[in-house]
Amino acid sequence: MQDRLHILEDLNMLYIRQMALSLEDTELQRKLDHEIRMREGACKLLAACSQREQALEATKSLLVCNSRILSYMGELQRRKEAQVLGKTSRRPSDSGPPAERSPCRGRVCISDLRIPLMWKDTEYFKNKGDLHRWAVFLLLQLGEHIQDTEMILVDRTLTDISFQSNVLFAEAGPDFELRLELYGACVEEEGALTGGPKRLATKLSSSLGRSSGRRVRASLDSAGGSGSSPILLPTPAVGGPRYHLLAHTTLTLAAVQDGFRTHDLTLASHEENPAWLPLYGSVCCRLAAQPLCLTQPTASGTLRVQQAGEMQNWAQVHGVLKGTNLFCYRQPEDADTGEEPLLTIAVNKETRVRAGELDQALGRPFTLSISNQYGDDEVTHTLQTESREALQSWMEALWQLFFDMSQWKQCCDEIMKIETPAPRKPPQALAKQGSLYHEMAIEPLDDIAAVTDILTQREGARLETPPPWLAMFTNQPALPNPCSPASVAPAPAPAWTHPLPWGRPRTFSLDAVPPDHSPRARSVAPLPPQRSPRTRGLCSKGQPRTWLQSPV
Amino acid sequence: MSYIPGQPVTAVVQRVEIHKLRQGENLILGFSIGGGIDQDPSQNPFSEDKTDKVNGWDMTMVTHDQARKRLTKRSEEVVRLLVTRQSLQKAVQQSMLS
Repeated sequence: MQDRLHILEDLNMLYIRQMALSLEDTELQRKLDHEIRMREGACKLLAACSQREQALEATKSLLVCNSRILSYMGELQRRKEAQVLGKTSRRPSDSGPPAERSPCRGRVCISDLRIPLMWKDTEYFKNKGDLHRWAVFLLLQLGEHIQDTEMILVDRTLTDISFQSNVLFAEAGPDFELRLELYGACVEEEGALTGGPKRLATKLSSSLGRSSGRRVRASLDSAGGSGSSPILLPTPAVGGPRYHLLAHTTLTLAAVQDGFRTHDLTLASHEENPAWLPLYGSVCCRLAAQPLCLTQPTASGTLRVQQAGEMQNWAQVHGVLKGTNLFCYRQPEDADTGEEPLLTIAVNKETRVRAGELDQALGRPFTLSISNQYGDDEVTHTLQTESREALQSWMEALWQLFFDMSQWKQCCDEIMKIETPAPRKPPQALAKQGSLYHEMAIEPLDDIAAVTDILTQREGARLETPPPWLAMFTNQPALPNPCSPASVAPAPAPAWTHPLPWGRPRTFSLDAVPPDHSPRARSVAPLPPQRSPRTRGLCSKGQPRTWLQSPV
Repeated sequence: MSYIPGQPVTAVVQRVEIHKLRQGENLILGFSIGGGIDQDPSQNPFSEDKTDKVNGWDMTMVTHDQARKRLTKRSEEVVRLLVTRQSLQKAVQQSMLS
């Protein structure tokens, strides 16, 4: 059975490679080869992993590779079909309907992804037992391109899952569909937590013979994941972590906005699933799109433009149609050097363009006119092109621009800023990720300036000798029983931080000693903490031996 | 000159206002406190930031538990602290000289 699976897998890979070769599509073939090699690498790594977190990263890579291979396969099949159909139905070149206008491509970028969680546990502060953790990441697909975010560890202290990545898709059309899938896996071993569904699989595995049965079970279980067919790409690892699809959604042009928006998530798993996370049900993100017609020039050439008020004197300019403007530069070089154009004519959704019989009266052929409405005034610019062909190509460029604007809609109102994502750093030793509180560093230095300003205004007296209150800081007891006011541990801590044992927000907590498991306060001294309240504030007879610290 | 606990003290303080953060159903401040009149100050790994008042309540003579309770009242969303630290004195001196 095992051998058969091997053979099937090899045959499938062979088939994939042959398809790519026969299509002579070197780009896609190269990408496919690359993914297949990455997949082999990920399988080997997974087999060699000892730590759970390494295994999670390797499984994630495997899942991404599998998804990519399948999507490239799908693309190959589509192209093959198109090729075959193209060959069989021959169209005469000079008849048939003109090619349909297709909209320009654009860059689509999704960033600042945040998925809110909804913990219902009212026992939050009394964390019982170990902190349950999950590893999650997002898989994003647009067309045949698949990209993934980094993997994040989630536990009860997080209010949202926030991904730092920017994901950019370079060749999207205005009819794009960006599919977003959230995958999760338990960081702890699943065995302890699952129950029912495994029993059937165990039965199956034991009846097929242990090793091959385990393989089949692993592949059957992973079939619920990225939709990979189990026989085509069986998961080689046994007992490794398994990612489950937790939620998904599809975003289209309507969701694009130069700002944050919240979208609904379709939840895909239920509470029995070991990787189930309490998702609030929405995802916030910034989805921006930059159609190429806005960022790249679509036409350029020599034009003669009628100067304002001068009927006969037409200036020769170098026109560049870019975005929603026609820039008229004095010289062709000015466009590159950043010189200001002589004239800028707006070309947007409201603009009307006409090829010109209008100016036959002036005796100038091959003209076109561009009219814009500014309030109550209509401003018309008349431009003369060099020849009939030039006029046709300018008109064509303008019609294409109008078409693109009608397709890309709100993306053409203003250019949306897209940052090229920085190359992602390889996953380092996975530290426990904290919540917002990790970033909170209260900087006292700024406030000191304000304080001293106030003091200089009010007091004015010179303080040369150290004032008596500073003695509080010298730790020299005046009485035999040393007592001091409650100290606040500063938020920005020195280098040594130890994670709290029971998952309270991990502030820069100042544990000098490995903590014990008492719920709220930790005792530094070996003696049990003296918790009896002393309302009078007088120190007790025996010397206090402890230094308690509590998070608030 | 030394500080005698139980005696009134005049000190340069800094007023700090903190809005508590919402974490699930609870409001937390996000830092830890240590010490108290019932604690041994010689074991304090830090010597900064002593709290004199919390939302009007005197903190110069409180136990660790009382301090913690005053800071974690569920009904209060904002905590106003009067805090003193050694470096305040230096800062004041520097500003006087300049």
